[in-house]
Amino acid sequence: MAGTGITLNPQETSDLRILASLEPNQFTAAKLQGLPRRHLKASEVLLLWSLRVYLLLMIGVVVYQVFGGVH
Amino acid sequence: MDVHSEMRPEVTLKPAAGRDKPAITHEDLERAEDRSRVASARSMRGPFSNFRLLWLLIGPGILVMVGENDGPSMLSYAATGARFGVGFFLPFIILTFVMAIVVQEMTVRLGAATHRGHAELIFARFGPFWGWFSMIDLGLGNFLTLIAEFIAIRAGLSFFGVPPWIAVPGAVVLLLLALVTHRYWTWERITLAIAMFNLVFIPLALLTRPDWHSVGHAIVSWKPLAGGMSNAALLIILSNIGATVTPWMLFFQQSATVDKGLTRRDIRFGRIDTLLGAALAAGAAVAMVLLCAPLMNRGMSVENFQAAEFAKSLQPVIGRLGAVLFSLGMVEAGLVAAITISASSAYAFGEVVRKPHSLNLRMREGKAFYSVLFLCVAAAAGVALIPGLPLVYVILIVNVVAVLAMPPALLFLFMLANDREIMGDLVSPRWANVLTGTVVVFLIGAGVLYGISVVAPKTFAVLIR
Repeated sequence: MAGTGITLNPQETSDLRILASLEPNQFTAAKLQGLPRRHLKASEVLLLWSLRVYLLLMIGVVVYQVFGGVH
Repeated sequence: MDVHSEMRPEVTLKPAAGRDKPAITHEDLERAEDRSRVASARSMRGPFSNFRLLWLLIGPGILVMVGENDGPSMLSYAATGARFGVGFFLPFIILTFVMAIVVQEMTVRLGAATHRGHAELIFARFGPFWGWFSMIDLGLGNFLTLIAEFIAIRAGLSFFGVPPWIAVPGAVVLLLLALVTHRYWTWERITLAIAMFNLVFIPLALLTRPDWHSVGHAIVSWKPLAGGMSNAALLIILSNIGATVTPWMLFFQQSATVDKGLTRRDIRFGRIDTLLGAALAAGAAVAMVLLCAPLMNRGMSVENFQAAEFAKSLQPVIGRLGAVLFSLGMVEAGLVAAITISASSAYAFGEVVRKPHSLNLRMREGKAFYSVLFLCVAAAAGVALIPGLPLVYVILIVNVVAVLAMPPALLFLFMLANDREIMGDLVSPRWANVLTGTVVVFLIGAGVLYGISVVAPKTFAVLIR
């Protein structure tokens, strides 16, 4: 690499050329950086809990139906 | 704050001092190679440039849509045709695919904008408390569905007299073979090629010489269910919804979009990919209903599935070759779904525990990723082989469970797709939010109605009178 004092072999040169096709945040190393947590509003938490309760109740219904069917 | 403006990778090909891993991985190189082909297609001029780009960029959308035409889904469509004919359900099934397009399009945008998988985003933005809830939903749903896929494969091959102990392990081997190249692109193309066999149901449907006047009339007029609503009809409605929109699809398409390396510039093609997948899958689904419509009033139901009785009953109508193709179609449905669903589990696991998660990983680099994939498949295959288990219940409930688990999954998706910090200008437009909200309300309504029909059948009877 001119001016940097670093010598790359042909394979590395070719790899670097190909790597230029990736956006910076597509690299595995970039993805290791975490994202900041989002602040949830009270209404959002309420909605998340409501749907969680809904799902638990409904799974109970499914278990009840399967149990009834098997027996 | 634009989260991504802060991300700058350290570009070194060899491990930096004090590090045991290189900043550039094999996964990066493989993905970069795919992206360089996209860049070169983009620089081409002429009419073939767009076709070339489309060829390079399609994949996740078709795979997710055709993948969801899985064993339980095709069975659900078969039972729909055999029980209710074409009337109410043809337009209904088309509507469910419209819902799927609305939902899946958001995962394309999320994947291309953030380059992060769905599970990763949920954990990062909502925290592990909500993240684990969503992972439990995904894990349980995926495991049940995988069992159902192996039941489908078993049932399809039983038509040829293949015993389960050969059929199921054989499918596991085929599934693992698709992974041996350790290249997302190759895996995607192999799976796409197998998935295209799902379209076999279209020529098979034509063999039954459908009454096109009735078909056209059913689609255009969309009359209420003949004979009114009943518990059985509601179960079929739920199964048909669960046959098109399920949580694993959200996780898979976003992770595959990221693994493929789609960027903001590719979103248009990601949308076309999703539309194309929906059109192909809807075609096969509608064909299955038409194909099994001649079985009306013959008492066929899901219980007839395991012994390949659908194929045997159809043989007088579509001939021996037709029945053979039908059975192979069921095997394909189970196999492609097993491939994509196990991948979605492995992607999500890797994203959550922050281990490498890509189909571009070599085996030694992606031990955790491939182990999870293999363990999910092996465990589900093992359950499908246990003699005497009431497996028919798995087939019956798997789509229903998917519908019930969808509203919480959609809420996460909705919030992420409207999260300006990670999406920037790609947040969902208002019309998409209205459509998503409508889908959520519709799914909750269907779920609540199902709950009432099971727990309080008399109340249900009063409600639908």
